Amino acid sequence: MKRIQHFLLLLFLATLFACRTERLDAPFEPVKDVNGSWKIVGVTRNGTDLTSRYDFTKFRLNFADSAYSLSEQVPFLVNTNGTWRFDDPAYPFKISLTAKDSAAKSSSLLFPIVGGKRNMILTISPGCNANTYQYTLQKAD
Amino acid sequence: MKFSSFKKSWFSLRNFSIFFFIVFLISCSMTIDSVDQPMSVKGGEILPVTLNVTIETNQEQTSKFMVAVLVPKVWNARKNTTITFTSDITSGDQTMSVIPEGTPEPKGSGMDWPTLISTKVGNGGNLINDYEWVAFFSDAAYTVGGNKTVRAQVKIRTKVSDDNIAFKLGYCVANSTDGLSGTDRYGTFFTSCFRVEGSGDLIDFCNPQLATIEPRTSLDNDIITLNFDSKVSDNALSNSSDIYLCATGITTSGERINVCSQNAQTKMNVVGVGRFRKDIWPREFFSLRADQSLRSLEYFYTDATGNVKVGYGGGADPFPFTFKCQ
Repeated sequence: MKRIQHFLLLLFLATLFACRTERLDAPFEPVKDVNGSWKIVGVTRNGTDLTSRYDFTKFRLNFADSAYSLSEQVPFLVNTNGTWRFDDPAYPFKISLTAKDSAAKSSSLLFPIVGGKRNMILTISPGCNANTYQYTLQKAD
Repeated sequence: MKFSSFKKSWFSLRNFSIFFFIVFLISCSMTIDSVDQPMSVKGGEILPVTLNVTIETNQEQTSKFMVAVLVPKVWNARKNTTITFTSDITSGDQTMSVIPEGTPEPKGSGMDWPTLISTKVGNGGNLINDYEWVAFFSDAAYTVGGNKTVRAQVKIRTKVSDDNIAFKLGYCVANSTDGLSGTDRYGTFFTSCFRVEGSGDLIDFCNPQLATIEPRTSLDNDIITLNFDSKVSDNALSNSSDIYLCATGITTSGERINVCSQNAQTKMNVVGVGRFRKDIWPREFFSLRADQSLRSLEYFYTDATGNVKVGYGGGADPFPFTFKCQ
């Protein structure tokens, strides 16, 4: 009988001291690091795949802190170098590129990881606004 | 052995009949019985269309009514179309509105209405890929009892553009619950070649063309696709295997920039028997300065020597193309 009492007392104390305040930290979403050189790996125009039909291979979009620069040219949101920013650094849904002496131009943005690589998907209309292009970029390094 | 005995019993005539009856019981159908519309209008006019639709139900359902139209993109039908309908179960004209872009079709695995209609219903045989399905929902939802037959008259009013166009119009009707989940759940109708007698060169979606440019609505900062179908009609390049583009870009200030050498930059890519294609970025192709913009193109196709040239209608005049946006 005493053994049972001791066991129950031990169980009670173990339960009592097992209780402690658990601190729940808010989930942390890292700021998206885009610094570096990005190349085009896919292009669609109004849903038609143009990737292998036009030479996009030389184009580079280079980010360095708040500045961007372009190497080679393709129909794009901007044609000259300037500054950039996300609408939200942690959860970006838009990117704005501001070429020197020009107004900011925005593109909707997706930032998925595909095949272990971060993709940056921009949706733009560089010519007629009836035509929508989707550019998929990956880090060139 | 067990499986075969199960299969045998499952596929017995009695069970099959019950299964068929259940499927029949819960299905409903929607058809476009006829379409009333003129076969031509003048450029810039209103095109009046009436669809006579029959809806048959086998169980009660509350849904919105969906009507979609297949039209040339240049009409900008999202802004220039109104749709209303009358029916046996409603009183007066019922209004409809464009379904916002990206709204998923209920059974379309995330695809939106225009994309799914295009996939399942097609394009009616239009040959230039510069058309679009524009889908409308009724502003209200309607409850229809089981085993009912409802007749509806859909009135479509579209202001066509000023362009000179031949096009096969398409119509599709469905409801917001069933979507396009089965071929009996929606109705479709394609017209024969409809004409807009507008201005400029004929944009013929109905008949194969010697030369086309996609997208029809584009500017010099787009990537445009030039197509040459050398077998469409007899011409001096019908039997040539190497085809080159010879083009003149005309700027907004009237300058003419000629690119007509037979080299890698102008060589057309083979995409089929007698079919060639070239994707160009006009600003790069014509080496435009930042202060220059193109108003139009005039172009020919040539053989490797550059001596044999084919233009509009297979003749000596160039194919024309005007850069414009809606």
